[in-house]
Amino acid sequence: MADTNVATEGAPGAEPGTQVPVTVLTGYLGAGKTTLLNRILTEQHGRKYAVVINEFGELGVDNDLVVDSDEEVFEMNNGCICCTVRGDLIRIVGGLMKRREKFDGIIIETTGLANPAPVAQTFFVDDTVKAKTRLDAIVTVVDAKHLPARLADSHEAADQIAFADVIVLNKTDLVTPEELAAVEATIRTINRFAVIHRTERAGVPIEQVLNRGAFDLQRILALHPDFLDGDDDHEHNEDVASVSFEVERPIDPEKFNAWIGVLLQDKGPDLLRTKGILNYANEDRRFAFQAVHMIADGDFIGPWREAEPRVSRLVFIGRNLNRPQLRRGFESCAVD
Amino acid sequence: MSQATGSHFLLETRGVSKDLGAFVVAARFSPDGRAVGFALGDGTVRIAHLGDLSDWRSTTVHDGAVLAFAPDAAGNGFVSGGDDGTLRRVATDGTVSEISRFGGKWVEHVATYTIDRTRGLIAASAGRLMRLLDQSGGVLKELTHPSTVTGLVFDAKGKRIGASHYNGASLWFVAAKTDTPRQLEWKGSHTAIVIHPEGDAVVTAMQENALHGWKLPDGQHMRMSGYPAKTTSLSFTRNGRWMASSGADAMVLWPFFGGGPMGKAPLELSGGDGIICNQVACHPKEELVAGGFADGLVVASDIASSRVLPVSPPRHGAISTLAWNADGTRLALGTETGFAAIVDFAKH
Repeated sequence: MADTNVATEGAPGAEPGTQVPVTVLTGYLGAGKTTLLNRILTEQHGRKYAVVINEFGELGVDNDLVVDSDEEVFEMNNGCICCTVRGDLIRIVGGLMKRREKFDGIIIETTGLANPAPVAQTFFVDDTVKAKTRLDAIVTVVDAKHLPARLADSHEAADQIAFADVIVLNKTDLVTPEELAAVEATIRTINRFAVIHRTERAGVPIEQVLNRGAFDLQRILALHPDFLDGDDDHEHNEDVASVSFEVERPIDPEKFNAWIGVLLQDKGPDLLRTKGILNYANEDRRFAFQAVHMIADGDFIGPWREAEPRVSRLVFIGRNLNRPQLRRGFESCAVD
Repeated sequence: MSQATGSHFLLETRGVSKDLGAFVVAARFSPDGRAVGFALGDGTVRIAHLGDLSDWRSTTVHDGAVLAFAPDAAGNGFVSGGDDGTLRRVATDGTVSEISRFGGKWVEHVATYTIDRTRGLIAASAGRLMRLLDQSGGVLKELTHPSTVTGLVFDAKGKRIGASHYNGASLWFVAAKTDTPRQLEWKGSHTAIVIHPEGDAVVTAMQENALHGWKLPDGQHMRMSGYPAKTTSLSFTRNGRWMASSGADAMVLWPFFGGGPMGKAPLELSGGDGIICNQVACHPKEELVAGGFADGLVVASDIASSRVLPVSPPRHGAISTLAWNADGTRLALGTETGFAAIVDFAKH
């Protein structure tokens, strides 16, 4: 939504702990998405998943509850050009909730060329979807051999990496160690914050993919001790990159809302994902903020731990990121 | 309407209820009014016979959840669409038979129209496809829409079918030789549809917590907004003077007379406690509307006086369906957590 005021409580009607986790699987056709999906479904984990698929691809999907859906994207009527939503997912989540007790999670497989933004935005925009489900992680499967070519010929390949919480770097057996290191470095320039798993035939332990609570940003952010790298170069190109900032003084919620609201309005189309953990003044709980393009959401996620440094961290993944400007903006949100 | 006053709930003295253990997707009265079918998220339909309310027979209709449910077009049972891609008929004795198959797609919407005791029309949609069938399941038309159908409704004469979808709605003529719909266009995702009883307006609910309407035949647009939540339920009074809607912390009724709804404020009934109204159902005869709320409260409100009659207390889960019988003497209700009830409104 164009309105980027940050909620101070959970989604309307949300009952903590009862929300069904949703995993989104993206990746180009042939990268190994369906192989990963079938591994998840056939592994003996004692859990049942509802699977939403959009293409009967190279391999069939072996599961009791498979929902065949057309990816139907529409633009919200809120004056926000990049606010697109998957209406089919809103309907499917509503339908699945009627049979709620029969599965433990939802896995959504997107088509190869899909832009992940509408899927992610659906989980921000629709109140029912927000109340009944939580986006657990976006998992992107990439083909180690063909990724460079994909990045060269499309925006979607970079977008899929940018949106990922977990990246399954597949078909590592088809490249040399040097090529693998190079492709991983390429992924890191786009998204420094995703967890990368190197695999052959999508062989990743299922617990590394499902129920990640990837929106527990603390965990992701904690993975990066090199958070402040002091590099203030103005990134000015069409390539997707990621930057992060840290502020030690507590944040004034009103200042932050005002700043981030204007920023997302102005730069929303370039800002693929924004996430952060904020140390609000006079507040013992951590505030988690996240946005997809212009659509933002936030919630308190439990108290700061003892001995944990109370610092605010913010990550941007997108195009044309003006690092000094973003840094100054974030720093100006600190209390006086 | 009952003369009951005070704070007691009609359910306590004039109702029967049961816990059915699964999401009540829809409650509907059979065409002869003698039975109520409760369609559930576990794929069963419970049939309560008003002559003997001790026994609510359970019959399995779908492998999965029931998604759409309507009184049969002719005969005496119900038609049911499921997430197993089938459209089935359920007789009031619990017998199930298949009407149509839609492959892997969910059958999400069903509408029926009764022509006479032996003839009727059934419309059912799965994805973009809507099939128009005769009472025995014979295919009259297969109609395709630009995106998934999100609502289906016959007009009061059974001449037209309205289907909502992305960027508006399509109005199809049942008897047309060539199937070219009247396209009612408005950008965005439309998620429910109703047609005015006199056939001179179509209204849809939209993703953006607003309603959109078109006056017919000129297609003049109507915007009705200000809802804090999405509207999922729309219902015209019998004479078409008012259209009730869910999606606010009151039943919101728009006047369709005296130039309305454009430029008119809606009437808000039974509001004020901040709980969202999920379901509305206008009485089939009187200017009376029943409303069901997210906390389980059900009330009936007289439109002229705004007087509120408590029907069912705020317990048992969010109201997911409300239905009146044809003469308005009984109201059936169901909740997301499986509570179901039938309340007697007849004068005794």
